[in-house]
Amino acid sequence: MSLPKFSYLAPDTLEEACRLLAAHQGKIKIKAGGTDLLVRMSARAFKPDYVLALGKVAGLDHITFDPRTGLRLGAMAKLADVVDHPAVREHYPMLARAAKATATVQIRNMGTVMGNICNASPSADNIPTLMVREASVIALAATGEREIPLAEFFLGPGKTALQPTEIATEIRVPVPEAGSGVSYQKISPRSKVDIAAVNVAAFLLLDGERRCRQARLCLGAVGPTPLRAPRTEDFLVGKELRPEVLEEAGELAAGEATPISDVRASKEYRRLMVAILTKRALVEAHNQALHH
Amino acid sequence: MKTVITLNINGDRYEVAVNPWRTLNEVLREDLKLTGTKLGCGTGDCGACTVLVDGKSVSSCLTLAIELEGREITTIEGLAPNSEELHPIQESFINKGAIQCGYCTPGMIMSTAHLLKQNPRPTEAEIRAGLSGNLCRCTGYNKIVDAIKDAAEKMSSSSD
Amino acid sequence: MSKNFSVVGQSLPRADARIKAVGAAQYADDIILPGMLYGKLLRSPVAHARILNIDVSQAKKLPGVKCVITGDDTLKIKFGNWRLVPESQDEYPLAVDKVRFIGDEVAAVAAIDKDIAEEALSLIKVEYEELPGVFSVEEAMAEGAPVIHELNPNNISLQRKIDYGDLDKAFAECDLILDNEFKVHAVSHAYMEPCACVAEYDHNGRLTVWTSTQTPYFVQCLLAKTLGMRENDIRVIKPFVGGGFGGKMELRKWEFCAAFMARQTGRPVKFTLTRAEELATGRRRHPMSIRSKVGFKKDGTLVAKEFTAYLDGGAYNSMGPTAAFLCGNFGGMLYRYPNYRYNGYHVYTNKPPAGAMRGFGAPQALFVAETQMNMAAEQLGIDPLDIRLKNAMETGDEIPGVATISSCGFKESLLKVAEMTNWREKRRQLGKGKGIGIGCYSFISGGVFNWFNTQYNFTRAEVRAFDDGTVHLLTMASDIGQGCDTVLRQILAEELGLKMEDIRLTAADTAVTPQADLGTWGSRVTLMAGNAVRKAAQEIKDQLYKVVSLKFDLNVIHDLDCRDGMVFAKNRPDRGIPFGEAVRLAQRANRGEPIIGYGSYTPRGKGLVTPAFSFGAQVAEVTVDMETGAITVDEMNTAHDCGTPINPMSVEGQLEGSVHMGLGYALCEQFIMKGGKTLTATFLDYKIPCAEDMPPGKSVHVETYEPDGPFGAKEAGEGLVSPTAPAIADAVYHATGYRCTELPITPEKILRGLGKL
Ligand SMILES: Cc1cc2nc3c(=O)[nH]c(=O)nc-3n(C[C@H](O)[C@H](O)[C@H](O)COP(=O)(O)OP(=O)(O)OC[C@H]3O[C@@H](n4cnc5c(N)ncnc54)[C@H](O)[C@@H]3O)c2cc1C
Ligand code: FES
Ligand code: FES
Repeated sequence: MSLPKFSYLAPDTLEEACRLLAAHQGKIKIKAGGTDLLVRMSARAFKPDYVLALGKVAGLDHITFDPRTGLRLGAMAKLADVVDHPAVREHYPMLARAAKATATVQIRNMGTVMGNICNASPSADNIPTLMVREASVIALAATGEREIPLAEFFLGPGKTALQPTEIATEIRVPVPEAGSGVSYQKISPRSKVDIAAVNVAAFLLLDGERRCRQARLCLGAVGPTPLRAPRTEDFLVGKELRPEVLEEAGELAAGEATPISDVRASKEYRRLMVAILTKRALVEAHNQALHH
Repeated sequence: MKTVITLNINGDRYEVAVNPWRTLNEVLREDLKLTGTKLGCGTGDCGACTVLVDGKSVSSCLTLAIELEGREITTIEGLAPNSEELHPIQESFINKGAIQCGYCTPGMIMSTAHLLKQNPRPTEAEIRAGLSGNLCRCTGYNKIVDAIKDAAEKMSSSSD
Repeated sequence: MSKNFSVVGQSLPRADARIKAVGAAQYADDIILPGMLYGKLLRSPVAHARILNIDVSQAKKLPGVKCVITGDDTLKIKFGNWRLVPESQDEYPLAVDKVRFIGDEVAAVAAIDKDIAEEALSLIKVEYEELPGVFSVEEAMAEGAPVIHELNPNNISLQRKIDYGDLDKAFAECDLILDNEFKVHAVSHAYMEPCACVAEYDHNGRLTVWTSTQTPYFVQCLLAKTLGMRENDIRVIKPFVGGGFGGKMELRKWEFCAAFMARQTGRPVKFTLTRAEELATGRRRHPMSIRSKVGFKKDGTLVAKEFTAYLDGGAYNSMGPTAAFLCGNFGGMLYRYPNYRYNGYHVYTNKPPAGAMRGFGAPQALFVAETQMNMAAEQLGIDPLDIRLKNAMETGDEIPGVATISSCGFKESLLKVAEMTNWREKRRQLGKGKGIGIGCYSFISGGVFNWFNTQYNFTRAEVRAFDDGTVHLLTMASDIGQGCDTVLRQILAEELGLKMEDIRLTAADTAVTPQADLGTWGSRVTLMAGNAVRKAAQEIKDQLYKVVSLKFDLNVIHDLDCRDGMVFAKNRPDRGIPFGEAVRLAQRANRGEPIIGYGSYTPRGKGLVTPAFSFGAQVAEVTVDMETGAITVDEMNTAHDCGTPINPMSVEGQLEGSVHMGLGYALCEQFIMKGGKTLTATFLDYKIPCAEDMPPGKSVHVETYEPDGPFGAKEAGEGLVSPTAPAIADAVYHATGYRCTELPITPEKILRGLGKL
């Protein structure tokens, strides 16, 4: 189906973009790669009067790493560029894995990590790893800029903490702590190329005795937003990852999930997969931490 | 309101007046009658519409034409210099039986062009991953994979 | 059996591969005609309703709209492929009085561009009185269920029966009786080219229609009927077609609307379906509820089978009558079933109609039959391979009153695939989470039963020969990607001793190519059109042989031959002249008449089903993640009997495509529906396997020679869609202990089956 009609706005500067956004509040949609936006528009799920494209704004596609401040991904950094970026591969291998697990070659050449986040799908591939890395999003409006921790960013399917006047300009990811590790696990049982039926990211920071000093989990596609699992995380702190601990962590995480049934999986299956993927993610994060 | 833009397609410059909601696929197929690029789904899932923009494979069904001013677009029509000399990828697809109904073929070939540019000697697994955005209902992909191996070999030995 | 072929048996690249590789092949949607209008269909948003009123006045007023039609504008003539049984023809070109599924076509518009056509649709106001709907065969057959078609108050549109032997007596003598219920689901053809057509009016009473079809002749006849025109006033041309798999073998509503509106407006009209329309409303493989009771002797000998299938046909008959028959036929194939009874019921539901799809009743019947063979083998303590060898059909077998097996390489296929996969050892040794399983098939090479009720031969070919050494082959056989344009050329090149490039081919144009051909379905083309081409070639040869004989004053005992561009005496190759020279002489000898040969083929004396059956066996090896239930198919190996492969590379391609489709059927393709609404209407949700999902594997042809086939050839590539699901299901059972009786096999079902969920 072809696209509905709209007016196209492609400002050169962020200031202009913010102005346009404020001027057309409620009737305008931001477009990054467009791989979510245009699909929804052609299905008539959105019919904005204006599309605000960020493609012409200079300096939005940066990917930079600084050993003191961490990783910065501009709003227009493409998934494919994140996958291939040497600093991402070296310091944030699970970010690269998640970006590579997103969609297809063509869509990764078009779509952005920021679009994946702002689209706020509960199954989004790039959210869980960023979430457990305590990333944040910089939101810019004509009135000023603010930093929103990812943990506070998602309000519901397709709903974010961004104000209608705000543009997300950058993702900031802290420097990986020594002794920490992350894992990203995804299951899409129908095909090797598919939206996740469940995805889980785990972050572990180990102490000298290989006990968990910090643990963070993010469970995707099992709730209205990607979910943190605070009870499981608390449970893990101070523990060594022995089989029975893993087992219990999996069960706890499954209990924290609130899945529904849809075309990809039933809620029962999803819940069970949370347990399994949590265990697998913890094991891998643990190994990563030991080697970091 | 239509905007007049200049598109650089296969080395030729085309001036077209487009509405902002026109996709590159519509402009190629309907306005410029470059119908080699196909439309299999319109939602980014099948890859039949794949073209190269600045050397990278994209779905023309999800690309707004208006955004392509100044970019270099390559479609299936732009691969072979003339009807005698085909691109080695095309030759391999023909000889290895990678083409049945042919509807996925232009997109498959463009994805292959992207893949071999990024990775001139891909492994079988890399080839299959490189086709993640291209569906084929006829061939079961195996002969396409064979064709890509064959093309990679020819192309990298000729550039050695 | 002459094996000394020069072109037949060669893995030649497709004749049309080059034009496709450069993007120059024109498919229906690629056709752009001057002044062309764009058509769109308004579809029912409700599953079952009476139409109270349709108001098109606003739509007609929209600038740029040139035509809006509803059922009332048409002649209200019902149509369907089963012309032999007029009561089965249950569809109107556009809905009249009622809609019966979400997507039923209600109105059509044609406008100067797509955007306007789309907007016009939104201006058509339809008042519906909603009726309760039924969405499964069980609901449809329940007491007091809502009636979908008045003619069939119980929602059963037809029943097919096959019955031979003495079932009751036979079951009484069995040592093991399995009585199981199965459910098989609907899947989409998912051809990559969405349907499209363009119709043009000549302002002189005639129409030309370019359409993505497998059956130009059906479209021609049924268009004529529904438009109230003469058949000869309608020309249907098949351009390049991007796959069909059975989904493009009927008259479709958009073809009617394009033709009707082109005639009405005087301008060409194009319709192109969206993928969402294709997936949510298009034809599909029949879902079925099946009960199968099968009895064995202790030693594994098959004794009896009672097979009952309820086909969920959706809202209309479509090709359901054939599917209902073939399902029963395939339920009794492959093995010797001395006593067999089949009852098939085609049931209406308020869902998109099921139609013909690759395998046509076989995937369903064989999933059941092969699964039960595997169950029986286990219960009797026999290797699944041995129980099959024991009961396998052989050359010369007969199905009472139905068919004779004139060539059969089934046993050889079984032994071959076992050897390729090291079956016996692996079946004994593989450990938890790893499994190996087997599935087999048999398939037809075209149908005998004349449900279209054509007065023509089933297929016909014309060959014109020229003095430049070239020929022109005209045939209505339709290449939809399977490769018959290449295979028919190979057959002709072989017969006439010419090269592929010496043959010009004109195909599938009802005004030009010889009447008639029933089209591409049921794996009929290679055998039927191939035979017709051979006969036409024979007529050419007869004409040329005369003049060559005369020229060299050959003794009557000499045999002549065509080879390497020469026509010559077989035992005296020096006594020969080039093909073109022979044509020239023949024309001279006949006062300028052109050299033309005709050939026809209609299967006769071969029973009711088909002139020839193919066979094969497939072995799947899988790994199942016992925690997630995720299934990886590690390998898929096949041995099959398609007679002489005319083009082995093409046969292999068909086979690999079959594995793809079989894999999708087994594991990942599924329409998820809610109250008649399809929830999986994109390729993101309707998941066909991608390149990374395909297992490696080998295939081996078992050599047989089919006496009824051209150069010994028979079916290839359709039947092979059947064994994949039962083979994978058996391998999953072997790996996990979960036996699937309800397709598709999903990780969830495995975990549930194992009590883990
Ligand atoms: C075939 C296909 C397969 C896919 N597979 C996957 C998959 O496997 N996993 C997955 O997670 N996703 C998948 N997606 C979804 C999509 O590709 C990703 O979410 C992608 O990362 C979106 O990026 P984009 O730049 O294209 O976003 P856009 O479509 O441009 O934007 C997405 C949303 O975010 C908003 N937005 C974008 N940028 C900003 C900004 N800077 N500030 C504020 N709002 C903004 C837009 O208004 C829009 O609502 C798939 C999509 C397709 C078409
Ligand atoms: S048509 Fe663009 S991806 Fe299918
Ligand atoms: S060749 Fe038909 S879809 Fe690929």
